[in-house]
Amino acid sequence: MRPIRIAVTKGRLEKNTLELFDRMGFDTTELSDKGRKLILPVYSPKGSVFEVVLAKAADVITYVNHGVCDLGVVGKDTIAEYGGDFYEVVDLGFGKCRFALAAPNDTDFFNGYATKTVASKYPNVARSYFESKGMDVRIIKIEGTVELTPLLGLSDAIVDLVETGRTLKENVLKVVEDIMPVSARLIVNIACMKLRKLEIEGFIKKVEEYTSVSAN
Amino acid sequence: MRRNIRVTPDGTRDLLFEECNARRQVEQKLSRLFQLRGFSEAMTPGIEFYDLFDSGNPVIPAEKMYKMTDYKGRLLVMRPDSTLPIARLVATRLRQAPLPIRLYYTQDVFYQNHSLSGRNDQEFQAGVELIGCKGDKSDIEVLALAAESLKICNAGDFRLEIGHVGFVMSLVEEIDENPDVQDLIKLHIENKNYAALGSLLDTLKPSSTAQFLRNLPRLFGGKEVLSAAAPLCTNPQAREALDYLNMVYGKLCDLGLSNHVIIDLGMVHKNEYYTGVIFRGFIEGSGDVVISGGRYDTLLQRFGCDLPATGFGVNVDSITKIKLARNEVKPPFPPEFLVHAESGFETEALKRIEELIQDGVCSEFSVFSSLEEARDYAVKRKIPKILIISDTEKIIDLNSGEML
Repeated sequence: MRPIRIAVTKGRLEKNTLELFDRMGFDTTELSDKGRKLILPVYSPKGSVFEVVLAKAADVITYVNHGVCDLGVVGKDTIAEYGGDFYEVVDLGFGKCRFALAAPNDTDFFNGYATKTVASKYPNVARSYFESKGMDVRIIKIEGTVELTPLLGLSDAIVDLVETGRTLKENVLKVVEDIMPVSARLIVNIACMKLRKLEIEGFIKKVEEYTSVSAN
Repeated sequence: MRRNIRVTPDGTRDLLFEECNARRQVEQKLSRLFQLRGFSEAMTPGIEFYDLFDSGNPVIPAEKMYKMTDYKGRLLVMRPDSTLPIARLVATRLRQAPLPIRLYYTQDVFYQNHSLSGRNDQEFQAGVELIGCKGDKSDIEVLALAAESLKICNAGDFRLEIGHVGFVMSLVEEIDENPDVQDLIKLHIENKNYAALGSLLDTLKPSSTAQFLRNLPRLFGGKEVLSAAAPLCTNPQAREALDYLNMVYGKLCDLGLSNHVIIDLGMVHKNEYYTGVIFRGFIEGSGDVVISGGRYDTLLQRFGCDLPATGFGVNVDSITKIKLARNEVKPPFPPEFLVHAESGFETEALKRIEELIQDGVCSEFSVFSSLEEARDYAVKRKIPKILIISDTEKIIDLNSGEML
């Protein structure tokens, strides 16, 4: 049987995950200086091998959904946007930020009866947020800098990830309402959880242990 | 320009050679098993009225069904599930039949998945429905048959996980009256979202049941799960479900399935029609749910027929995929003979082929005018022998080059 395979979101979450693995006593040498290899081995203190695959956030979900990776580290933002059938077992506590509705400083977003236009990189998150408020809005999907769209006059507001709020401030935008908190999650393919219970549960337990340590 | 003439729709594909063989093998093994166990085949239409599936079932939401209209403008769907059509069939045409009714099916179901997710929009399923009986005997029979189905496909080590709708339901109902909160708790249990479940329960009144629910997603595994849960479970209905699972689990172990059966007390089937024992199956090497089923005692009431029932469906395509990935299925063999008629002897050649196939010898008629062409073709197609029909019969063995 192949080693347990973990898909890790590239970038900031990758760094945090690496730190977590280090704290757990894993040998992550090959993961830190990865070169051109795409599947990277990581060794547990007991000598067992795990394979790590670095991927874009949405691809982590695709890999875990299909079971080609057993576990995944991915942000709640991506889970909320793409969904899927998998277990979401640990809140890893890093990569913290939040989804928020933001609009230009001098406007009152919820006022008036005209249909509002909202720009977002996360159209599904935006859609379900406004659905829960019983509001019918027009949603425009934007791939890049969403903060630009109200300035250009394309949208009345944006739904986006907010960490410190500095980008918003610089663009004369304010948070109208927080939508949901976001942080990195450990996800597990359903079949893998059932077929390799002991290994996966052991891993989760260890992750939980070292996650709570870092939080304190 | 004509578009889309060289491709199939997203989520569908053509099957060829060993792919067809693999699918047929699995299908035939399962249908034979079901027949030998006393089930009779039912075939339901590929298109049905939308109304049949319009029940708010989260497994087949309206937007996932392929829809079209008939000549009266009535909304139709391509069959997204086989259990509902069979329930309709039983409730309308088999009202007088002696109970229980045992039916099996092997047919496609269709869903519209997200584009480019790599999921199949057309899935071949084989399954059984056991209608008209309640109680432990029918539950055990169907579970044992589900295990046997996975075993007989010979696709590798498998797990059958069992749970009970009533278990989670009664605990969740006890803890909060608000159905929205109940749904959210069930969702977090289903997704094994320990963190979200914990924070949601923190906002509710503390109780021993809340404490127990917090731990529920972790309660899956073997017998130890039941013994861990029993002393903590005070809710009488949940207790009843637990005892029932214990009994069923014991029987399955008696059948020698202890290495294959696991209990998941936190299993919440998204399918709304289930009412009792529910189960899913997994095969090593596949990330898919390959079997899914359970008891649905109230479904037939929708059609004015109050019969309890239980059943399951096997995802034949997932099993086929594993077998193909392991190179377990061979492509079809070429025929044994290419039967080539010299000019004027065509009917004799065709008669000779009839004789040969009566004996089970696979023979192909040569459509070529010259023997050279026939020989070239036979070599390419790896047909070992050419049978030449004229006044006399001659055989060329292409492997040895010998004339017989």
